[in-house]
Amino acid sequence: MERATPLDYDETRVADMFAVAQARDQAALARLFDYYVPKVRSFCLAAQPGANLMADDIAQEVMIRIWNKAHTYKPESASLNTWVFTLARNARIDYLRKNSRHQSDIDPEFLWQNVVDENADPFKDAQQKRDQERIQQGLDKLPADQKQVLAKVYLEGKTHKEAAEELSLPLGTIKSRVRLALHKLTIYVKR
Amino acid sequence: MIHYHPSIETLTDYAAGSLPLTHALCVSTHIEHCHECQQQIRKLEMLGSHLFDQTKVESRRLNRLKDRFFEQLAEQPVQEIMEMALQKESKNTSWEEQYAVPNSLRQFIKQGYDELNWMRLSPSFKIATLYNEEGGAQVALTRVKAGAHMPTHTHTGDEITLVLEGAFSDESGVYRQGDFINRDASHKHKPIVTKDAECICLTVLDAPIEFTGWLARLLNPIIRRYHPHSH
Repeated sequence: MERATPLDYDETRVADMFAVAQARDQAALARLFDYYVPKVRSFCLAAQPGANLMADDIAQEVMIRIWNKAHTYKPESASLNTWVFTLARNARIDYLRKNSRHQSDIDPEFLWQNVVDENADPFKDAQQKRDQERIQQGLDKLPADQKQVLAKVYLEGKTHKEAAEELSLPLGTIKSRVRLALHKLTIYVKR
Repeated sequence: MIHYHPSIETLTDYAAGSLPLTHALCVSTHIEHCHECQQQIRKLEMLGSHLFDQTKVESRRLNRLKDRFFEQLAEQPVQEIMEMALQKESKNTSWEEQYAVPNSLRQFIKQGYDELNWMRLSPSFKIATLYNEEGGAQVALTRVKAGAHMPTHTHTGDEITLVLEGAFSDESGVYRQGDFINRDASHKHKPIVTKDAECICLTVLDAPIEFTGWLARLLNPIIRRYHPHSH
């Protein structure tokens, strides 16, 4: 079957995930470590430049979660990259809430648990891959200013308001850039 | 049928993980009821994963980190802890409970709404604080009897209301289970609960509300006393 190569790459890692989940295969875990840890570290350093210790801690935590939760990963409801992204996002939130000035007692584990893996649907797998491809291809074509705002929100962990302050732009401009981008990626359809 | 959803900005911040946790709590509770927003979040997370995948990776040797990780893994107790925690969360309310508490609120409410420490502000209006954030935000549940008015109030900060049970209406519409209502400081409104059932809402206030009706003088000192800003 013809398909864009990035998804095929994912498949070897999905195989590693199964080896981790079922055979507790540490060599497979080491391969996942090599692939994901540098990404998780970059993701953390984007939010807190120079915070290498934090990046190491969070990357370790993500790998521990991969090891412990491997059996809960379901390829039909999310790509492995998406699953690991959500683990990294949650681990970063958790780290920041425990180590920042404004500590919070709200446990993020409870807040992002229900999103993945809802309603079993035989068409979901195909739909998921279509969405995946559309987003990936669309992302490459986005104008730089729209991509920049998305990076601020997703990688640097800024809210729309904070992104506006940092770029010295009106909040409305930030909002419309994000909306335009999401529209092009067919993520956002006006209700 | 849910009619009021979080804005696309809010959903994006939620999927990206940049939304304040107090607000994320409301979004999470909303999407437990809302298939539409679940789909939206699913796609927003996909977008996040592509941006995540495209991050520039520094060429840095991670051997030491890797050794440390595998050492730590060897010391780890077998994984039961996490699974037990998950099972506890997903367990539904016991049959004698009248209402099902959303999963997102399970960290504050173990059995049911009745276990909370409700403070009666009027014969028909009760409030229970779930959590006061150091930065000033307050997370609470309000419980209003069928057909009753909530005291008229304005906000000094943003307010998010999420309907958990029952329904209420104000000048702008009728809000039912799962509806997500975001009001800013300029809003002054006078909600009324529908006549058929009591109404329980989750509310997040960034700053204390001010009551403007006849109850004002009575309630404002009390509300302020229970809000972290005043301490």
